[in-house]
Amino acid sequence: MKLDFNFILRNLPTFLEGAVVTLELSALAILCSLVWGLVVVTARTAPSRALALAATGYIELVRNTPVLVQMLFIYFGSAVLGAPLSGFAAGLLAMTLQNGGYMAEIYRAGIEAVSQRQVEAGMALGMRRHEVMSIVVLPQAIRKVVPPFTNQAIVMIKDTSLVSSISVAEMTFHAKLLTDRTAAAYEVFLTLAALYLAINAIVSAALRLLERRVAIPT
Amino acid sequence: MLNVLLANLPLLLKGAVVTLYLSAASAALAAVIGVAVALLQLYGDPVTRAAAHVYLYVMRGVPLLVLLFAMYYMLPYTGIDVGATAGGIIVIALYFGAFMAEVFRAAILSVPRGQWDAARALGMYGRLLMLIVVVPQALRIAGPPFVNTCIMLVKGTSLVSIVGLWEVTMAGRQIVERTLAPFQVFGGVAAVYFVICYCLSRYGRWLEKRVSYVH
Repeated sequence: MKLDFNFILRNLPTFLEGAVVTLELSALAILCSLVWGLVVVTARTAPSRALALAATGYIELVRNTPVLVQMLFIYFGSAVLGAPLSGFAAGLLAMTLQNGGYMAEIYRAGIEAVSQRQVEAGMALGMRRHEVMSIVVLPQAIRKVVPPFTNQAIVMIKDTSLVSSISVAEMTFHAKLLTDRTAAAYEVFLTLAALYLAINAIVSAALRLLERRVAIPT
Repeated sequence: MLNVLLANLPLLLKGAVVTLYLSAASAALAAVIGVAVALLQLYGDPVTRAAAHVYLYVMRGVPLLVLLFAMYYMLPYTGIDVGATAGGIIVIALYFGAFMAEVFRAAILSVPRGQWDAARALGMYGRLLMLIVVVPQALRIAGPPFVNTCIMLVKGTSLVSIVGLWEVTMAGRQIVERTLAPFQVFGGVAAVYFVICYCLSRYGRWLEKRVSYVH
């Protein structure tokens, strides 16, 4: 096995073009699912039983089906409805729906990790339920869940490769086209794997820094 | 509305059987890889430990789809021909084997120190201590996270449809091409995965309860 490094260098711009789309989709999907997860966990822990049940059903549904099937469902389904979404939008929507479910469970673990006494203390100070949640519980809960959140972010970055199958020109898509055109499978896929490793290494290092910054001092 | 789904149900169920087969085969292989890597990581010499570390790092940082593509595009050039199905099973097992390794490593480490000490005080050592004292307890602790990883694995098998293996997702895509009814058909495909994964997650929760009774 001999690698042609000139080939890699020559095609690096193609890879980087794809990497930009991969990063865009990852960043948007992570942000959207963070927000959506907060909405879902609010419903999940709501006093209303119907709302909590609906949120639980939603979480079970999105977590027990593959994100690829959700993408296909949304991508081809939207076309039938007469409002075709782009592959990028369908991928973003599917990833937000699925990972919102995961994020909600992560938030919930964080909320449960905050001592019940703090909730009582907040109540005793005359705060309302939503005030206790937003002022006392959530700020602590979010700081506690940075490590599982990091794991989920890495999973999401890897999952963006799936949108290549609904014709979004991200990194994996370009790599596949390049292999089809040049048959340089070693060069292409080793470069691709290295790029994913690099992205994930940088993101997890950055999030670990964040983790240390926001850790609750004991 | 649901006629399309009903008419194509036999085909989807056939796909579901293939998905189950792929999942079971790769889960079994992944468990073996997981145990082996966990033991190498804990008790191996520095070289095997480093090798295990590199393996885990690569598997956790590279998407499963890229590994599948790499398998199908690169392997033919090396002259190794394992066939599509076997190739898919091996790649999925290698990928999730890394997650299993973490599960088993954590389980072995979470057997209380006192148990090791007690076993040594009774004169046990080496293989005997592992087999009689540590492994049975570690397996019980590893149960729930192992089942969770299996759920990820079942969902992961859907990716082999992208590299051309026929299973339930691929069957769904073929039916949609023919019938143009994506909601019903992909809804059916999702239902197949949901049934498998939901049963697994109930089982996992039941195991979790049993473990928490003991401790």
